[in-house]
Amino acid sequence: MRKIWFFMVLASLVTLLFVDPEQSINAMMNAGSDAITLVIKLLGIYAVWLGIIALVDASGLSEKLANLLEPLIDWLFGKTDKDTKKYIALNMSANILGMGNACTPTGMKAMEGLDKQNNSITASTAMIMLIIINATSIQLIPTTILGLRAQYGSASSSDIILPTLIATTVSTVLGILLVKLCAKIRKRWKDK
Amino acid sequence: MNVSVFITPVLIILLLLYCAKKKVNCYGTFAEGAKGAIKLCLDVLPFLVAIFVAIQLFKVSGLTTLTANLFSPVMEFIGIPKELTELMIIRPFSGSGSLAILEQIYSTYGPDTYIARCASVIMGSSETIFYVATIYLSQTKAKRLLYAIPVALVACLASSIVACLVCRIM
Repeated sequence: MRKIWFFMVLASLVTLLFVDPEQSINAMMNAGSDAITLVIKLLGIYAVWLGIIALVDASGLSEKLANLLEPLIDWLFGKTDKDTKKYIALNMSANILGMGNACTPTGMKAMEGLDKQNNSITASTAMIMLIIINATSIQLIPTTILGLRAQYGSASSSDIILPTLIATTVSTVLGILLVKLCAKIRKRWKDK
Repeated sequence: MNVSVFITPVLIILLLLYCAKKKVNCYGTFAEGAKGAIKLCLDVLPFLVAIFVAIQLFKVSGLTTLTANLFSPVMEFIGIPKELTELMIIRPFSGSGSLAILEQIYSTYGPDTYIARCASVIMGSSETIFYVATIYLSQTKAKRLLYAIPVALVACLASSIVACLVCRIM
């Protein structure tokens, strides 16, 4: 991430020197205020979701969910403590139900738990797994896109649901398998 | 009408009823939970600014289009129409940016064309990888991501190929 960021900014600024130097500082300032606008919007969204998640937690539902998903979570993430498992379960449910904005707060809490166990500057396999699952999110119904297609006068806006489901399943399953594979290769390397 | 619009509200109603049965103080608990959003957003903000700056610069400098042109022959070779290359390059970085490109594709080609359907499926089956990685790792001690980003990108590319393939058949 550090390297990508550094490269992107450097390459863009150097290019802008030749193309349009005036634009460079403008673009940076605009990006800054765009980020603030987004955070304010997100603040409201996260507040509502965290409120709902607090209810799920207080009612004991999250524990039930965690118990239900325990075999899957154990296979994907290895040993973790009860609290982290709860948040992973919530995060995965939010992913599957397509509640994109509920994924981030739950995912970050799960990540904190995994990070505490890991306690190193190198991400653990479980942490990478959590990122991959969220980065390739399985989504049952892509609501935004359906709405957008209908808005542009599509004759049958929902005919992309099945193809999307197939594509997203492929990406998530492939992502999980690749993480498992990479973790195994890394372990063998270390053992040598 | 779409069934999907019912999922969230129905789940929340069920949750409220369940909480009432368990005698949870709904109002207080909700407010207490919502409080956590303030810290979350403050924590995330600096990283969001950093990634936005990088994306904006990349776009304004014209490097996005350049990379798209560079990659489009390869993309076409693996069965992805070249019009979609820019969408695929922006998608891992920016949700709103890629949504704008998607709208552009809809208005240029019409929402029911092969290109537009491919674009919809690619959009629906992928995520903003860099955004997710940045935000999730903003609070952790671990900063070295090893193979996470390459794996996510490979999975994303695979789903795009599958997307175009499936759209051709269905």
